[in-house]
Amino acid sequence: MRLLLVEDHVPLADQLLADLKRHGYAVDWLADGRDAEYQGASEPYDLVVLDLGLPGKPGLDVLRAWRARGLATPVLILTARDSWAERIDGLKAGADDYLTKPFHPEELLLRIQALLRRAHGLANQPLLATGGLELDEARQECRRDGQSIALTAGEFRLLRYFMLHPGQLLSKSQLAEHLYDGETERDSNVIEVLVNRLRGKLGREIIETRRGQGYRFGTRP
Amino acid sequence: MNSLQRRLGLGLIAALLVVGLILLQASLWLFEAGLRRSMETDLREETEGLLVALVPGANGLQLDSQRLGPRYQRAFSGHYFRIDSDSHEWRSRSLWDSDLDWPTQDGLHPELVDGPQDQRLLVYRAAYRRGGQPLHISVAHDYTPILDSFQQVRLGGLTLLGVALLAFGLLQRLAVRTALRPLESARAQIAELQQGRRAQLDTHVPQELQPLVTQINHLLTQTDETLKRSRHAIGNLGHALKTPLAVLTGLLDSEALAAQPALRQQLEEQLGQIRQRVSRELSRARLAGEGQAGGGFDCAQELPALFATLAAIHRRDLKLDWQAPPDCHLPWEREDMLELLGNLLDNACKWAHSQVRLGIATLPDGYRLRVDDDGPGIPVDRRDTVCQRGARLDEGLEGHGLGLGIVADIISAWRGEWQLQASPLGGLRVEIRLSAVSPGR
Repeated sequence: MRLLLVEDHVPLADQLLADLKRHGYAVDWLADGRDAEYQGASEPYDLVVLDLGLPGKPGLDVLRAWRARGLATPVLILTARDSWAERIDGLKAGADDYLTKPFHPEELLLRIQALLRRAHGLANQPLLATGGLELDEARQECRRDGQSIALTAGEFRLLRYFMLHPGQLLSKSQLAEHLYDGETERDSNVIEVLVNRLRGKLGREIIETRRGQGYRFGTRP
Repeated sequence: MNSLQRRLGLGLIAALLVVGLILLQASLWLFEAGLRRSMETDLREETEGLLVALVPGANGLQLDSQRLGPRYQRAFSGHYFRIDSDSHEWRSRSLWDSDLDWPTQDGLHPELVDGPQDQRLLVYRAAYRRGGQPLHISVAHDYTPILDSFQQVRLGGLTLLGVALLAFGLLQRLAVRTALRPLESARAQIAELQQGRRAQLDTHVPQELQPLVTQINHLLTQTDETLKRSRHAIGNLGHALKTPLAVLTGLLDSEALAAQPALRQQLEEQLGQIRQRVSRELSRARLAGEGQAGGGFDCAQELPALFATLAAIHRRDLKLDWQAPPDCHLPWEREDMLELLGNLLDNACKWAHSQVRLGIATLPDGYRLRVDDDGPGIPVDRRDTVCQRGARLDEGLEGHGLGLGIVADIISAWRGEWQLQASPLGGLRVEIRLSAVSPGR
């Protein structure tokens, strides 16, 4: 999952970056509203965490510009402006959720998880569950038939992406785009290695290879 | 009541009444004086006629009854005379057996004399000499018909005056109403202003009202801008305080602190207190309070957005609905009302199992707002403590106490009342009664 964090307060941004990366998200960070408006619309993010009081361009204007262009990426507004009138303005501008500062980091992670699931039509599940698998995102482990299966950080990130897109054909470059932030070198071999490791742990049939097209996360009965 | 219309009306009617009465009475006096002068002439001629009727006879002067008109013969005809000489006295037959209090002065008697059969008589006495002896001839004439007709004229005059007063009163009312129509429309607009259906007064008014309307509009704009400016400043302050607080809250989870649980707990407590205090005071500072409603709160426009926001924040399958009278405008500042309803509904959503309902109803003197949920509710003996300022009911559910604290602030700023009750849905019902500021007529 690749996120865009738009926050101009550097200490908070540092903290959030560390938190989010620790939870298996690839995060790009921007502090200026104009940069965010451009990059948010041109890169394939899965979710945006947006502050409202930004230099360059106010967060709400950035959000409106995205929505006017038809960008459907889920946006979570993270702001100190906590009056109900401002919350309503945020939702009207096209935000999907609204979290007010100060917040507990745990709360932000739960909101991001829920928002991602909702964006993929998997709302109202305590755990991400597809294809006979359950993914515990807090502990970064996978369960099948009540048995825990330990995952490395890389495996967890890939499996989460697969589980949020069950039955969809995903190319290697598409996977690389969503699993790594803009600064990491993208090596498609790494994806192949990770896919093979997941098959080793979860069974071969869980991920189907379509030659020349990519992978498909199976819907095992 | 202090009404311009009434004052003007009373003044006009009093003036008309005094002038009308003086005019009526004065014209009657003048007319009567003229009439008496002409009657005096008639009566003098009458005495001359009687003098002619006195003819010398065998025993001195004799009254020739042939020369007297029939009116002196008929009893109580209203025409009487009396002739006094040194030796004799003649009286008209018409006097019959009654007598008058004949005056002793020559000329027209200034007062009327009582005659027979309730007649009031105008009496004239003249002195003559005939055949060497002095004669006093008095003639009396019934004045009652003239008095009667004067009475009639007076009555007619009063009636006319009354009708004129009525007509003037109505005309004046019409004129005042036409002249004051701009005032009336300004009054109606101020009422709309108070009900929150209008943000500014119409500036197309007569010259006399222009300064008033301009000044009111200026004040409205100024109040509005002050509110916006201070809210903006509070927003900035909140941003400046809360972002570092968020960083500090995040630091609580750092590994360095995990090794120091006592320190961590203390930090967490203190941070929690700062957060509570900052949120509460900033929320209070944002309130517009009782001052003015600005645009007011348009239920049909604001509630769908509020409920969409609630639905987005509480994404469980909650059934949220609201009921309000059609075209419902609550005459309170929009953001304050959103804050009140937002906090109450948010709180209800946190506790509800499946359903939250908002009901708005108009009362004769204001509005009743009800927020119902089907959550666990609050035991009767603890309901009062919740309504007190800032009381926190459940430390575990963040924001509960704070949300109701700001609710209490808003309600007290609006001089409203609120109560916690058992809801028919099974949970808690918060009922708020707000009396609308009535625009005095």
